[in-house]
Amino acid sequence: MAQQRDEDNFRSQVEDRLDHLFQEDSPETTEEHIGLGEHPLKGLKAVLLSIDWEITDSTMDSLLNEIKNVEYVYSDDKIILTFLQLLGSIGRYVKANKGRAHPDATRVINSVYEALERVALNEGMSRAEKEKMLLEEVGKFKKLKEQVVLRKLEKKEPAVFEGTPPAAPAPEEKEIPVTESPAQEEAQVETRAEARFAEMSPHEAFAYALEEVKNVIRAEFRALRAEIKLWRESK
Amino acid sequence: MAIINLKKKEVQAKIVYYGPGRGGKTTNLEYIYKKFRGRIQTEMVTIKTHGDRTLFFDFLPIEIGRIKGYDIRIQLYTVPGQVKYESTRRLVLRGVDGIVFVADSLAVRRKENILSLKSLADNLASYKKSIVEIPLVFQYNKRDLLDEGIPLLPVEWLEKDLNSKLMAPSFEASALKGPNVVQTMKKIIIMTIGSLRKDLT
Repeated sequence: MAQQRDEDNFRSQVEDRLDHLFQEDSPETTEEHIGLGEHPLKGLKAVLLSIDWEITDSTMDSLLNEIKNVEYVYSDDKIILTFLQLLGSIGRYVKANKGRAHPDATRVINSVYEALERVALNEGMSRAEKEKMLLEEVGKFKKLKEQVVLRKLEKKEPAVFEGTPPAAPAPEEKEIPVTESPAQEEAQVETRAEARFAEMSPHEAFAYALEEVKNVIRAEFRALRAEIKLWRESK
Repeated sequence: MAIINLKKKEVQAKIVYYGPGRGGKTTNLEYIYKKFRGRIQTEMVTIKTHGDRTLFFDFLPIEIGRIKGYDIRIQLYTVPGQVKYESTRRLVLRGVDGIVFVADSLAVRRKENILSLKSLADNLASYKKSIVEIPLVFQYNKRDLLDEGIPLLPVEWLEKDLNSKLMAPSFEASALKGPNVVQTMKKIIIMTIGSLRKDLT
């Protein structure tokens, strides 16, 4: 009886402490969200949510089919069509490469879709705002494409991104200077290292990074020993 | 196994968020960390891949404070959900005292939930622990997607698939938006500390 009372008391103290520690001051302040209801994007979103790391032909086919369906609905809207082209292009790349696809591909797909949803659902958004959002996503797409090409070059394999980048209204592109400064070379080395990382599976990349850290520590110790030796000899 | 130091009057319990990949385990911890950062005064450690996936684990220590003369510390961990990281999951489960199973409510993830629960039972068994006996809470995550018209598994199906024999407490939640994230955590902490109570005499 006393033991039961003691346990209840203990439990109640834990509960009080947790209530105090994790008291939610205000109701959840979540962003106001417009539900999709029976919107044409509903099917596309459902497929995108189902795409996981283990990408299958059937999910990717569903994605490409959904993109076609939405393209049909928005055939008069060039901005939305360009968003859909971006999604289709990355979707085909992921389908072709599956587990070997660049890890950023799924992130860019999600980002493009989120922007597409905002543009499609927000009726009050001006054309300039929509174009700005589209340009941001085109930029991400181009960056991804560069990373994929770089990765393929490292492997000496042909890049498999299908088609050309969508013809979006793009800002003037600056010409890349041919001459390279040491900083640029260093950046290139880093990029190559990143590309090497990107083609490894995550646990391989971690093991590789760990090995590099070990090598650095060993080198530091060697240098330290040599310095101590020199110091002793000089005495 | 919790670390109980009777001399120093310290208790440290380990709670692991387990479940299929992309189910929202890390998002649970991130929500707690962001929302209560000022109060828990600890840092969340997370190791992610390029694609934003958990590679090894996430770790969030929480100081509950002194209760009945004991300093109580909780360590929240997540496991990587991707199928290929089975050995890492097993490793993270070593010494676990309580489990939150974060199930993905998406209709297409039904099979993954069941497989993940089976892997949890197997991994616990490798440490001679029983899924029936360990403190366990189910969280049916992503319920907010119902408002979007996304096909979700009915809670009754989730209960039948995962919880019909275990009869553990369960919560419908949205780790992204917050509902029932804290309640899930409170419940598992209370159950876990309760299970350690007999050792704190």
